[in-house]
Amino acid sequence: MAVTTFAAIDIGSYEISMKVFEMAKKNGFRELNDVRYQLDLGTGVYSTGKMSMEKVDAVCEILIDFKRMMQDFGVTEYRACATSALREMENPVIVLEQIFRRTGVRVEVLSNAEQHFLGYKSIAAIEAGFKKIIQKGTAILDVGGGSVQVSLFDKDALVTTQSLRMGSVRIRDRLRELEKTNTHYDQLVEEFIRNDLMSFQRLFLKDRTIQNLIIMGDFLTDNIFRDRLVDNTISRDEFVSRYEYVISKSEEELAEEMGIDTEYAALVAPAMVITRCFMNIFDTETIWMPGVSLLDGIAYDFAEKNRFIKSAHNFENDILVAARNISKRYSSAKSHLQGTTDLALGIFDSMKKIHGMGKRERLLLQIAVMLHDCGKYISMGDVAECSYRIIMATEIIGLSTEERQIIASAVRYNTTEFVYYDKFDGEAGVDIDRYLLTAKLAAILRLANAMDRSHYQKVKGMKAVLKDRELQLVLDSDRDISLELGLLKDKVSFFEEVFGIRLVLRRKRRV
Amino acid sequence: MEIKDFEKPEYFVNRELSWLKFDERVLSEARDKNLPLFERLKFLSITSSNLDEFYMVRVASLKDQVHVGYTKTDIAGLTSREQLKEISTYTHELVHVQYNCLNRSLIPALEKAGLHLILEHEGLSEKQAEFVDRYFEENVYPVLTPMAMDSSRPFPLIRNKTLNIGALIRRETGKHKEELQFATVQVPSVLSRVITLPKEKNGGTSVILLEEVIERNIGKLFQGFEVVCANPYRIMRNADLTIDEDEAEDLLVEIQKQLKKRQWGEVIRLEVEDRMDERLLKILRREFAIKEEDIFPINGPLDLTVLMKIYGLEGFDQYKTPKHVPAPVPAFQNEKDIFQVIREGDVFLHHPYMSFDPVVNFVRQASKDPDVLAIKQTLYRVSGNSPIIAALAQAAENGKQVSVLVELKARFDEEHNIVWAKMLEKAGCHVIYGLVGLKTHSKITLVVRREETGIRRYVHLATGNYNDSTAKLYTDCGIFTCDERFGEDATAVFNMLSGYSEPKRWNKLLVAPIWMKKRFVKLIEREAEHGKKGAPAQIVAKMNSLCDPEIMSALYYASSCGVEINLLVRGICCLKTGIPGVSEHIHVRSIVGDFLEHSRIFYFCNGGDEEIYMGSADWMPRNLDRRVEIVFPVEDPQIRQEIKHILDLQFRDNVKAHILQPDGTYEKPDRRGKAAVWSQMELAREAKERAEAAKNEKKEKSRVFVPAEPMEDPSEK
Repeated sequence: MAVTTFAAIDIGSYEISMKVFEMAKKNGFRELNDVRYQLDLGTGVYSTGKMSMEKVDAVCEILIDFKRMMQDFGVTEYRACATSALREMENPVIVLEQIFRRTGVRVEVLSNAEQHFLGYKSIAAIEAGFKKIIQKGTAILDVGGGSVQVSLFDKDALVTTQSLRMGSVRIRDRLRELEKTNTHYDQLVEEFIRNDLMSFQRLFLKDRTIQNLIIMGDFLTDNIFRDRLVDNTISRDEFVSRYEYVISKSEEELAEEMGIDTEYAALVAPAMVITRCFMNIFDTETIWMPGVSLLDGIAYDFAEKNRFIKSAHNFENDILVAARNISKRYSSAKSHLQGTTDLALGIFDSMKKIHGMGKRERLLLQIAVMLHDCGKYISMGDVAECSYRIIMATEIIGLSTEERQIIASAVRYNTTEFVYYDKFDGEAGVDIDRYLLTAKLAAILRLANAMDRSHYQKVKGMKAVLKDRELQLVLDSDRDISLELGLLKDKVSFFEEVFGIRLVLRRKRRV
Repeated sequence: MEIKDFEKPEYFVNRELSWLKFDERVLSEARDKNLPLFERLKFLSITSSNLDEFYMVRVASLKDQVHVGYTKTDIAGLTSREQLKEISTYTHELVHVQYNCLNRSLIPALEKAGLHLILEHEGLSEKQAEFVDRYFEENVYPVLTPMAMDSSRPFPLIRNKTLNIGALIRRETGKHKEELQFATVQVPSVLSRVITLPKEKNGGTSVILLEEVIERNIGKLFQGFEVVCANPYRIMRNADLTIDEDEAEDLLVEIQKQLKKRQWGEVIRLEVEDRMDERLLKILRREFAIKEEDIFPINGPLDLTVLMKIYGLEGFDQYKTPKHVPAPVPAFQNEKDIFQVIREGDVFLHHPYMSFDPVVNFVRQASKDPDVLAIKQTLYRVSGNSPIIAALAQAAENGKQVSVLVELKARFDEEHNIVWAKMLEKAGCHVIYGLVGLKTHSKITLVVRREETGIRRYVHLATGNYNDSTAKLYTDCGIFTCDERFGEDATAVFNMLSGYSEPKRWNKLLVAPIWMKKRFVKLIEREAEHGKKGAPAQIVAKMNSLCDPEIMSALYYASSCGVEINLLVRGICCLKTGIPGVSEHIHVRSIVGDFLEHSRIFYFCNGGDEEIYMGSADWMPRNLDRRVEIVFPVEDPQIRQEIKHILDLQFRDNVKAHILQPDGTYEKPDRRGKAAVWSQMELAREAKERAEAAKNEKKEKSRVFVPAEPMEDPSEK
């Protein structure tokens, strides 16, 4: 029986933690070890953009311990992720290399969108009822050290997810000086975040009713609500009474009472105020706190990718829904997108052997199609550049920054001339794999897009047949497609160049 | 009534005085004429080493309190000064009884048994004297360092616990007015203090103590001087290791420093030969700055731990209890792999009745087993040449992940512990030096093994140290299990000991310092609730010491609610029995026997839904608040039966048990008309019988011819 041990590491802004899991097809996965160490990385980084030597030393020491603990269980695979503390550094790459040299542990910095996507996978990881819950209006709130992530679900699909830069560590640091002169710390925090909250409400929540509020992460559950949760939920009244209690205490008193460090205790008040503000906006009666962490999400993701478990919920669909919502916001034509998607995927699926791309790349292609003309919303004359900029500025849950970059570039070169590797992406220089992927996606996107140039969805069906080094696209249409066929000629040469095959376009004979 | 209503000073006994009563119980063993003669010597020796430790640690700490002007009272309402006063009176009496026992009872009996103990060199025969003098010149003289004090040489530093001979000497100038000088010489600890003399014609063995040999020849040390008088003396210094952990960057370095300092602490006790010259005593008193109540004039040899050496003399086996041989553990009396046995069910061990070997084997097998990934263990005190340490080092060399928590703060073992901790590190083990401010007293071993069905954790939890030597003398319990809930907790314990955060919750273990006391108080309160309702309510607890005020108040409260409380407390017990309305339902007894009672067992009747716990913690503030301790529930029904049987037997003991009386004294139970129950002997017999039975069963089984079967194909599973 295949049993794999896997370790998930999270280098967070106030603690470094690791969980070791055992995964097997038969039993799914089981937690073997859960270990954490309190270390405030956020404070320094948020204010200076750099991590002190001492902090780097501490991180390395802990990672070496973690490595030993991994060996205790014969861990073969691990994933070490860093979140906002490293994300907000001016140059995390250098520190990550140092960490790798000293510990042998490769740490990746998660984009905010990836982090929260994994975070919400963690809820699915422990809760079978997750699918049922998100049938109704559901908000997931993740109060981190650097930022707060709010995701809204409705009818089993993600509606939106937004990151607000008002995490507990950040708030505490920003207000530290004022704290001394103001006795009502909670009001101070409330006012500080009010503007962001109002914008969120106006732009995204609108008049949606939220019935479930889920609080992610385990900071609150481990500290403030320890022993107070019934079935992982807490009522509004209980929350408010606990809130009043906590707010009235000093950091020292809290630390003493809860048996935690004062550093931790200092984060309690900001985290509580943020949570309460959202509770007021959503106006929910109970809060659900499953007490899961990013680590569970990382493990769930790994287990899913390696087929140890089968997920009841379609997470890829959430990414697509998120992309679709973005396209909607920029008023892209829905029918054109649908037509082009079908064509692009048809081409993609017919030539798997040639392009060598997999499931994930297929998803990226889909998203690229969905966002390929969002720039029109800004300027009809400069669609490519505007689309590129919109994609680069918009978080798409579940995608890493690199993936978003690829999509943005593919969209940009959909209509502008492709730039070859030497000059690609300005002077920055780009990973060869990423460059190639961009080229492939752009080639397919161009072709599919051109087939629906008129946005009439004239091509009703398409059959793609790969024969030796020739790809035949047989188009089925009862309309005049001379415009499309004519324009396609331009795109064909780029397509042939990228994939090294001949492309033959034919019109299906009508009987 | 609430728990806090029972926190009155008049309900409690001072812990030091209670401790002295314990030493008195040990002394009563030495006085017991039913015991083999040499065993009595051993007990007398133990009372003496006990008292030494008591002075070095407890009295020293009280002295410190007086020095810094600490005026808070103890639970019994006594100030440090008052305690010291009572201790002095009590100890003087105790020492008096010790030497009475030695002089009036033991020495005459030894004489009868053919061992002639020459207490004064004047009693040597001519031939013996000749031998002794030659022995002195050849062996003793070269290692002596006599030191004199005069205007140019200050009073020398006298080492803690060493035996010395003080003398007054005078220059032999013929003139009578020459001044007296003080001189001293340490009785060398490198030589045996007991010297066997050549056999005389009339048979029998004669021995003399080293200090007498030196005294006899002392003139040879101070050539050109006349020795006016020479008498032995011994001092005790303040040895409490109070390490300022906030400042201690490196615990190891700090302890090494403290060890050196221990030699030179304040002198808190002076023992002198009772015939010591008044002028000599005056000098000692002045130089050691010691008060009258801390001086002990001794009628006999100083430092009775020497009796342990006499116990070791050959040829007196008929006066000793035959050496106890622990019985094999039935569960392991087969060829099965130790891990397989544990997989088949939890295994209970009761030392020293049962052998400690399985525990050593557990680590040893783990070190060799190719499927074992990691071994983790806490070590507090280990034996000199510990097979466990060897196995751990071997495991590391075999590529296992070995983590060992070495408690450097184990009292009096610090030096020893540093040595082997370094050795383990060299072998490639990951050595953790404990937590700042907390002594790690828990006894736990975790073995992580990769098996076909995934990771499996094997855990050994115990009430006693991983010390194969003391496991032959201390009564301790242990358990092997591979229950995943225990395994998970064990991993969390080691995370915590490595400095990582505590787990969100414990599945099974009760862990000190944070959680344990609360849990115990809750368990006692729950019993009180049952008592109030008239449901079956009973607490049975066995431990070394009981002095935690919160727990004791809770016990009083439970007693007042009608809970039957039976306590088996070997040492200190600050609780009083028989207070009307407070502790009428509490019974306390203490067993002092050949084996040192050491296991901690806690039984709660819980209205019939019984719970049993075992572990490393006593109900003392130091265990519950300042140590990492583990207490674990016993879940296996059969093991629970066994433990209940042990408790029951010990409560029926009427040979070695002493019962605490309402007036605070301990008395042996009235045995008239009752059969003698000697629980330790009974348990030893039972263990032996069971091992025999298991052996026979195996033999019978082996008579059956087993047809060979094809090997199982693991891939079919």
